[in-house]
Amino acid sequence: MYKGIAASRGIGIGSICRIIEHDLTFEARQITDTAAEKQRFREAVEAFVQETTAMAADIRKRIGPKEAEILEGHIVMIMDPSMSGEMEKMIDAGQCAETALTAVCDMFYGMFSSMNDDMMRQRASDIADVKVSVLKKLLGIEDVDISKVAPGTVLVCRDLTPSMTSQIVGGNVAGIITEIGGKTSHSAILARALEIPAVLSVPGIVDAVKDKDTAVIDGTEGEVYINPEGDILARFVLKREEFIRKQAELNSFIGKETLTADGQKVELFCNIGTPKDARKALECDGEGIGLFRSEFLFMDNTRLPSEDEQYEAYREAAQIMGGKTVIIRTLDIGGDKDIPYLKMQKEDNPFLGYRAVRYCLGNPDIYKTQLKAILRASAHGHVKIMIPLVTTVDEVRGVKSLVEELKKELDAEGKAYDKNIQVGCMIETASASLIADLLAKEADFFSIGTNDLTQYTMSVDRGNPNVAYLYSAFQPAVLRSIKNIIECANKAHIPVGMCGEAAADPLMIPLLMAFGLDEYSVNPVLVLTARCIISKWTRAEACELSDRILAMDTEAEIVAALKIAAKE
Amino acid sequence: MVSKKMTIKNEQGMHMRPASLLSQKATAFTCSVKINYSGNSYDCKSIMFLMAACIKCGSDIELVCDGPDEEKALNDISEFIESGMGD
Repeated sequence: MYKGIAASRGIGIGSICRIIEHDLTFEARQITDTAAEKQRFREAVEAFVQETTAMAADIRKRIGPKEAEILEGHIVMIMDPSMSGEMEKMIDAGQCAETALTAVCDMFYGMFSSMNDDMMRQRASDIADVKVSVLKKLLGIEDVDISKVAPGTVLVCRDLTPSMTSQIVGGNVAGIITEIGGKTSHSAILARALEIPAVLSVPGIVDAVKDKDTAVIDGTEGEVYINPEGDILARFVLKREEFIRKQAELNSFIGKETLTADGQKVELFCNIGTPKDARKALECDGEGIGLFRSEFLFMDNTRLPSEDEQYEAYREAAQIMGGKTVIIRTLDIGGDKDIPYLKMQKEDNPFLGYRAVRYCLGNPDIYKTQLKAILRASAHGHVKIMIPLVTTVDEVRGVKSLVEELKKELDAEGKAYDKNIQVGCMIETASASLIADLLAKEADFFSIGTNDLTQYTMSVDRGNPNVAYLYSAFQPAVLRSIKNIIECANKAHIPVGMCGEAAADPLMIPLLMAFGLDEYSVNPVLVLTARCIISKWTRAEACELSDRILAMDTEAEIVAALKIAAKE
Repeated sequence: MVSKKMTIKNEQGMHMRPASLLSQKATAFTCSVKINYSGNSYDCKSIMFLMAACIKCGSDIELVCDGPDEEKALNDISEFIESGMGD
């Protein structure tokens, strides 16, 4: 068995076709007729550009614009004055086209690949791809036509270039194995877009296999088997069926409402960290944003972001989501999140210290800038304000009075905002949970943050391995707390959501349903999984299960019972 | 010669798309267009050098134009950078 990087999920079984790299060596020549050589070079570039343009158009149609832009970038690169311009200068000076192409590309390749930046190293592999493609044109080498391989082929090659990937015809390629490339490389992105299982970075694989060998690849685990024994093959045939069945089931939920088995509608939102992620949320079929962490604006910066900068970011997210809900959590710093330029004091117990809303209310200038930016963004979509780490009613009142003050300022400045903007609170401390009934009178909505709620309820530092065993949202104390929060919100008729990891946990979902949760906010990639699980439970079944669970004494018993009850 | 100090706001910095658009914009002018960044000067008319500069979000740069149409170039290009370069 070979191990590699699990780059695209799924099981692939098929017959190997090795893609051997051509011998691209050439003899450097001194050129006397430089005009003719330049003509030869230009024709090669022209042929490359035409071929790439056609491929890009094809990819745009079959896969998507993002993937096509990779190839279009190759054209911009070769046409750049510092590329083809420099190459032509070298030809003018008497070098042959191959030498000129190689020298300039290698110079940039060296420059980009030495940078300590993932994106730049990615560009280095683009340059290498461009070089090889144009060199083949110059040397008159025709590539293996990947679009013509037989169905059930597993491609094995050193690196899968975007130009190779673009020739892949959906049903024919059962899997991809390469010697280089990572999870974020173009080959990985394209393999995922085409839903072809792929294992990358398997050292020496090209020389270790022969054409027509049988390959089993597990793109979920990053494993490759060559000519496996019958029992292994049989196991993976089953695993493949299971994967395909599960995938088809999940795909059947695309574009559907999120409904329980007895037809009750709940909301399924996404957690995001940047405005761009909102696009991902939509692509993954999220119905709104349940948690937009605003920290990125502050962390990836060397100074406080201005009101306008923040406004732009919030507005962008709101506009991407159209009229769908976007819940923006105000600055949640302190604890384990430090922002150096704020020069916050070192504390003995940062998680019990000056963090989140406590810090914000203590630094109203910083907080007002953010709240005003959010208010302005609310004119462009359905935006809500969420206060992190609430422990008292006073804090909610404090934030609301700042919001009212800022609304007056905006009125005076004649700037637009949503006059009915909702202000809700995160319930993630033991005290907030115990006074959820009081907070429900002040807040327009609740969102339960299970990570902090578990930590504060269990009094446990999850980073400390000696006590990490206590850190579980399935502890009876945490479950009771969650139940109480949801019931208080239901009683006060305000919506209650959950934006912690537990909201997408298949074991937790039936309990949340029984308690009466209105909105689940999950990582975008988990939207369909969560929707699928929610669809399997009726409220009555969930309540029956939760009654049994809440009568249990220990976390171990609870988890064991939930695993038995789980509906896969 | 005219110049203007500014901050790059694109979330992902000067990656392929903005670099491509910026180089196309700069090429339309006769004057030279350069970006000074962390001690080096980069030719804006070249997507390769723009990407090689590895300019991150939040970086402070200086845009320098030198030539007959420098005023208009500085105006147009700085506006384009301010606008987020199509990101």
